[in-house]
Amino acid sequence: MSVPPPAKAPAFAIHRRRTRILGLSLDQCIQAFFGGHALTAVIVLTLITVFLFKEGIDFFGQNRENLRIYRQSGMEYVDVLRELERDHTSLTRYLYDIRLRALQHLTGPGGRSLPEANAALADLDALVERFGDAVVPIRGFVSDYGEVAVGIKTRFIENQDFAEAKRQYLAAGMVAEAEAITVAPIDFKAEVAAITGAFPEFEAGGRDLAREVASTVQQLPALPTPELQHRLERFQQLAREYAASIDGRLEQMRTWQWDRPVPATQAFTAFIFGRQWLTASFWQDWYGIVPLFVGSLMVSAIALSLAVPLGIGAAIYVNQFASRREQQLIKPTIEFISAIPSVVLGFFGIAVLGQALRALSQAEWLAWVPGFPFAERLNALTAGCLLALIAVPTIFTLAEDALNNVPRAFREASYALGASRLQTILRIIVPASLSGIISAVLLGLGRVIGETMVVLLCAGNRIAIPDFTQGLTAFVQPVHTMTGIIAQEMGEVVRGSIHYRALFVVGIVLFFVALLINFLAQKIVRRHRISIG
Amino acid sequence: MEPSAPLAIRVPAPRDVGATSTIIEIEDFNFSYGAKQALFDVNLKLDARRVTAFIGPSGCGKTTLLRCLNRMNDLIDGTVINGGRIRIHGVDINGPEVDAIELRKRVGMVFQKSNPFPKSIYENVIYGLRIQGVGSKSRLDEIVEKSLRGAALWDEVKDRLHESGVGLSGGQQQRLCIARAIAVQPEVILMDEPCSALDPIATAKVEELIHDLKKDYTIIIVTHSMQQAARVSDKTAFFYLGRLVEYDDTQTIFMNPANPQTEAYVSGRFG
Repeated sequence: MSVPPPAKAPAFAIHRRRTRILGLSLDQCIQAFFGGHALTAVIVLTLITVFLFKEGIDFFGQNRENLRIYRQSGMEYVDVLRELERDHTSLTRYLYDIRLRALQHLTGPGGRSLPEANAALADLDALVERFGDAVVPIRGFVSDYGEVAVGIKTRFIENQDFAEAKRQYLAAGMVAEAEAITVAPIDFKAEVAAITGAFPEFEAGGRDLAREVASTVQQLPALPTPELQHRLERFQQLAREYAASIDGRLEQMRTWQWDRPVPATQAFTAFIFGRQWLTASFWQDWYGIVPLFVGSLMVSAIALSLAVPLGIGAAIYVNQFASRREQQLIKPTIEFISAIPSVVLGFFGIAVLGQALRALSQAEWLAWVPGFPFAERLNALTAGCLLALIAVPTIFTLAEDALNNVPRAFREASYALGASRLQTILRIIVPASLSGIISAVLLGLGRVIGETMVVLLCAGNRIAIPDFTQGLTAFVQPVHTMTGIIAQEMGEVVRGSIHYRALFVVGIVLFFVALLINFLAQKIVRRHRISIG
Repeated sequence: MEPSAPLAIRVPAPRDVGATSTIIEIEDFNFSYGAKQALFDVNLKLDARRVTAFIGPSGCGKTTLLRCLNRMNDLIDGTVINGGRIRIHGVDINGPEVDAIELRKRVGMVFQKSNPFPKSIYENVIYGLRIQGVGSKSRLDEIVEKSLRGAALWDEVKDRLHESGVGLSGGQQQRLCIARAIAVQPEVILMDEPCSALDPIATAKVEELIHDLKKDYTIIIVTHSMQQAARVSDKTAFFYLGRLVEYDDTQTIFMNPANPQTEAYVSGRFG
């Protein structure tokens, strides 16, 4: 006896539906849709990283070549003399500064007339003149042999261009044209010998300079005030140190070798520790990130030192003190700041804030503030103040969230033990949300470090490490930043050139700084979640 | 534990019947959250150094009244006292010259969910003293030991006083909160369902502790467990819909209530 097949669908219909799209069930389609989005984000991030490295990594090879030609063309050798001259120049400037102060003192209120004052400074003028003349022979050497060295380098670069042209002709099959280009190889040894051969002259010149400087400062003229006299004595000391350093420099030139290899690591260290970022120079290009890094760091430090108290203070107020109405007013207002385009903020900085800060710095009652008064309208302080505005919404919003996450029970327990509002905030609520607040600050820092437009417009864009010897004055000097330099120079560089690649490496450094900051922030937040339970 | 029938109420043990004195007087007290009135004309006299239980179904106002006793309701926006007063030792606690912070130092509180601060056990206990500015290390050490012993927790935690209080078990956390409350030496301790999140063994320990504490403190406990009210309290107040229905010796409330609503509630017929 066989069971007859069911004639109609069973009433208890629980089997799977057969809707299929491209061979996938509906569930699989939905999964693929969202999975695709997540995957795209990961792929894009990977591509960005790969692209940054691909464009940037060649920099180190090129920089090594750059340093090699710097050595082989004898520029490095001549640079010892240039430095000798440069140090002399800065000493001369110091001396001029003393003379200016002396003159201002003499012609001050109730003082002498200008000719009288000049006459009184005749002794000092004689010193200035004699000191200045001492370097003339060295200056001549720098000028003559510098040209020779630049000549060698120029020919080397031309040869490279010729070789490239030849390669391209050959690649295009234009043999005749390729044959027409002849590349005359450079005999670096012979060429450089033309410079190093003059060493006896340099040595004699250096010795003369040392002797002349030492004897010039032997006798110091009398100056009208002890303060100026003290400065002059300081000059004497510096000049003696300078004279004493000349032997060492000559020794450096004597032992210099044109063919000493440039180690591969130097291409890297010259970038990471390089104190100069000098491009399109008639002499030698330097790609050292330190001035830019320091600039970014200073601007961020100013921004955070303003934004942290403002952002956290506002968060505590909104979270603990404000009435509902105030909350509804303050939160959107602060969050709105982040909606202002940064170029508008930068424009505001140039047009208003820079002027205002400079005017403020010249106010008499603020003269005690270090660095005040300052003359530069656009400097690290102006940019830092604006960046603080950009960081405040980030810090405020995240810190407020962190405060909000503190269980209400902690607050009640504290009040029930007889704590005042302030005690509850400082001893319970802030400590309990501290890791959240710290990560808010870190993310604010990430926001500030990556900000470009404001610093480009307002930081003053002088590529130099600020002078920290005067303490906090450094913070009102113009600086340039890592983001700013990329935005400013990327449009002008030749694709594939060392300069182009150097900018990419700056980008990589920025990328890693941002990565590190975000990583730390996330790590701290994770710990925070565990501790709150 | 011996299984017992759900409705069987153990007869409270005979209580110490020494002289009692009233410490808290609540007169015609009315209270609302915004437009919603939560308490209507409550009149109640609470005895010093006794345990008083507030019972009643959810939303009957017992926790609200408890939080009025140390003015914790001040922290909630829109709360209004519309009539009546609460006196402790004859002082109107809502009077204009009363400092709520000082009041809370005298009237401590233990919450339904144990809420130790994310600090060490030691710091948890001395928090109330720290904020009063007590700095002497020897004094603090002494109070920590005394309070933890008072909360029957000392033997369990004496070797790890500087570990986090959050790492303790639920029952230990609740006793830590009690230790924290008695460290500031209040006169009154308010307990808002202190055992509702605890297992039976931890509950038994806390109840035992309440027995010991009433030698020194006036305890007012809100509870949903009628067995608990019967076990720990001397007097019981039954609330319903914001009104005090009946207030009497615990034994009377459970064995011989005057009001039929009370009888229905304690015998488990509603609520």
